[in-house]
Amino acid sequence: MNESSPSKSPPKSENKLFTLKKWNAVAMWAWDVECDTCAICRVHLMEACLRCQSDSKAEDCVVVWGECNHSFHNCCMSLWVKQNNRCPLCQQDWTVQRIGQ
Amino acid sequence: MLQPHNQYVSFENEWRQALLVVRNLLNQRNVSKFEWQDLFVINNRITSWVDDGCKKLMNELEKEVNSHVTNAGKRIHNYNDDESLLHSYITEWTNYSVQVRHLPMPFSFVERTNNSHKFNGCNRPTARSQESPNLVRNTMLEIWNHVVFTKISDRLLNVAMNLVERERNGESIDTKLIVGIRESFVELNTDVENPLALYVAHFEQHYLESLERFYKSRTSEFLEKNGILAYMAFADEKLTEEENRAKKYLDFSKPESNEKLIEKCVKVLVIEYEDQLLAESPPLIRNYEIPRLKMLYRLIDKTPNGIQSMLNNLFEHIKIEGLNAMRQNAEIITSDSEKFVEQLLEMYTKFSGLIKDAFLNDARFLTIRDKAFQEVVNNTDVFKIEFQNKSMKGSVESRCPELLATYCDILLRKSNVSKKLSSEEIDEKLNNVLLVLKYVQNKDIFMRYHKTHLSRRLILEMSADQEKEENLVNRFREAGMPADYVNKLFRMLQDIEINKDLNSTFKKSVSGVNNNRNFTDSVTLKILNTGAWGRGKERAHVSLPRELEDFIPEVEEFYKKQHTGRKLNWTHNLSSGTIVFATKMGKYELEVTTYQMSVLFCWNERPNAKISYETLKLATELTETDLNRTLVTLVAFPKIKHQILLTDCAPVNPKNFTDSTLFWINQDFSVVKNDKAQVRGKMNLIGRLHLTAEQDEQEHDEIIQLRVFRIQEAIVKIMKMRKQIHTAQLQTELVEMLKHMFLPSRKLIKEQIEWLIEQKYLKRSDDDINTFIYIRH
Repeated sequence: MNESSPSKSPPKSENKLFTLKKWNAVAMWAWDVECDTCAICRVHLMEACLRCQSDSKAEDCVVVWGECNHSFHNCCMSLWVKQNNRCPLCQQDWTVQRIGQ
Repeated sequence: MLQPHNQYVSFENEWRQALLVVRNLLNQRNVSKFEWQDLFVINNRITSWVDDGCKKLMNELEKEVNSHVTNAGKRIHNYNDDESLLHSYITEWTNYSVQVRHLPMPFSFVERTNNSHKFNGCNRPTARSQESPNLVRNTMLEIWNHVVFTKISDRLLNVAMNLVERERNGESIDTKLIVGIRESFVELNTDVENPLALYVAHFEQHYLESLERFYKSRTSEFLEKNGILAYMAFADEKLTEEENRAKKYLDFSKPESNEKLIEKCVKVLVIEYEDQLLAESPPLIRNYEIPRLKMLYRLIDKTPNGIQSMLNNLFEHIKIEGLNAMRQNAEIITSDSEKFVEQLLEMYTKFSGLIKDAFLNDARFLTIRDKAFQEVVNNTDVFKIEFQNKSMKGSVESRCPELLATYCDILLRKSNVSKKLSSEEIDEKLNNVLLVLKYVQNKDIFMRYHKTHLSRRLILEMSADQEKEENLVNRFREAGMPADYVNKLFRMLQDIEINKDLNSTFKKSVSGVNNNRNFTDSVTLKILNTGAWGRGKERAHVSLPRELEDFIPEVEEFYKKQHTGRKLNWTHNLSSGTIVFATKMGKYELEVTTYQMSVLFCWNERPNAKISYETLKLATELTETDLNRTLVTLVAFPKIKHQILLTDCAPVNPKNFTDSTLFWINQDFSVVKNDKAQVRGKMNLIGRLHLTAEQDEQEHDEIIQLRVFRIQEAIVKIMKMRKQIHTAQLQTELVEMLKHMFLPSRKLIKEQIEWLIEQKYLKRSDDDINTFIYIRH
């Protein structure tokens, strides 16, 4: 079935049928990571690591990325490098690329 | 008077003087202060200066007491009939016992000398006197016992018991008589080890026997004549009466004595008729006969086992009455969460009141109430969720947690209900929710629904009071709700605060740069933590109106500067806005979801067009499910006079939509108030937002999936600790560990055990198929 004929002249912007007055935009943020789970503590990166969960410091538990682009909880990684300065996933030397904020 | 020390002290002289005073004392004649003091001095002199003074003194004293007591005995025996005998015995005994208190004082030298010098010559040849500092007192009592009491004690006891019986029959008697006899038995005891032996063996024994004899015949007679209910009152009255009587007549210096008495009373008055009494308990509970129940409770509580039967009666009653009430009102309460919670509370209050008034809040009854009420709350007859998931197929659960969460939502959101209530009233009602929640088995379902409702309240800014939200979450924590749920709720509330700052920073940052400043002012951002709010849909895709589409990169740019390492996922299914709808009738503000906005803006270029479903689908880029749902809200929004869109599809049902179904703007649209079309007006079309978009089935799948994980996790935790465990104990520990979230079904547990065995986390023991062993990794 054909659509009815459109109106002859498009209405001017102030006379539009619908005008936007307010918008409540909603977005979800997540860490920009390749793998969701911290390979050290096995907890999802969007959740605080186990240590922070039990100390209820979930707010401060951020994610760290290495040059290899692998990511972990910053707390987990800082404990890890004390023993072994390599990425637990790819064994490259660990250099911090950036820390989530 | 004092004599010089060097003068010879003659025992005969001294004693002659002393004897006068002693006699006066024994016979209750006046003794002056000087005479009294003199007696001390004389005795001191004798014991200090006379050879063998102690011995002589004691012999003389004993002689004197003996003859005094013998006389008293004779006086008592002058009476032949029992009662007069008792009277005169008590008179003599009362007098004598006064002397037993006073006379030993002046002779205390004798006792002391005797003890400090270990001067055997002074001692009476009984074992007791050597050790006892109460030599004189004991001697006096022994003489009385020997000369008077033992000869007539049985007779006296009988007379006393007859008197008690007469009192039981309502006569008033002289209680002193009975008390006197009891005292005689207590005082005249000769067994040092067991000072009450004589009393227990004779007086108490007789007392209890006569009590039993008295009631044995009377109780059955009374019961036959007056029926069990009257008997209950009778027994209750008699029990109190006997307890009070015993306080007068028995020696309660040791608790066993009281226990023995009560035991006896309970035996003759209650246990004899326990079955008949207990048979009355169910009807009394049913009819809420508080005074009678109170009485029955008092009686039965004294028996060793009876209370269990009353507990069972109460349990049954709560269960049956609770469920009946739910069934009778099933129609109203299944659809109205408020009525449902109120119904539950009304019953709870009623049962609690009964326990308080009739059973004095006895902890055992409170426990039973909790147990029974839990069955009512979690009952699945009236409302249920049916799980279709394969591992839970056919299993049903009460919908109570869902309704409770809905009720919370009504109270916490700006709603017609919450507006009418004061802050205190809302708090009270929320308290009630927590009270009922305590009895809910599957708290995970409640928390899930609560979280959904909270998300909607926060995103749509519909929460009536942020503080109440926080308080409630705190209360959940205190109530032991699953911690990870509670933490997420907290982070959600925090997120909203963080976003307030974010919005003001955003507006400042854009104000200098942007040419579209007015629009920026009208946008509110909510950028939320995926970890707390849930990942939601993979991508809520929709084609946005141009001005919004252009806006998105601007926000992303800004956000990147604020944070590092974060990516944004726009959840347009959660966003909403206000648009102005101009028709020939007037201008109206519509609060709409972004999906609705996207659909409606299709008409902006051609307001009078009839647009096909297919075109809308292409233009909005919505999935069919989302488009269908959105269109329905625009052509058939409940409870409004004019719909925004019209359609040629009839009846309106998404199933009937085809690609060629047409939709067009209702040019006659207006907001109607009090039956009058308004020129200006507001209308909210958001409804429930796209939060509960997932089908119930999908929702249930997620619940089950989460439970599966929880069970696996819990099993591994237990196994790590125990290393080896029998299946029955594993079940118990699992239920204990998970009960604050949900009640794991046997089937689900079994499946998880099997899975864990497959994954080599556990194995079955070679010796016992029902024992599991943890495998270390």
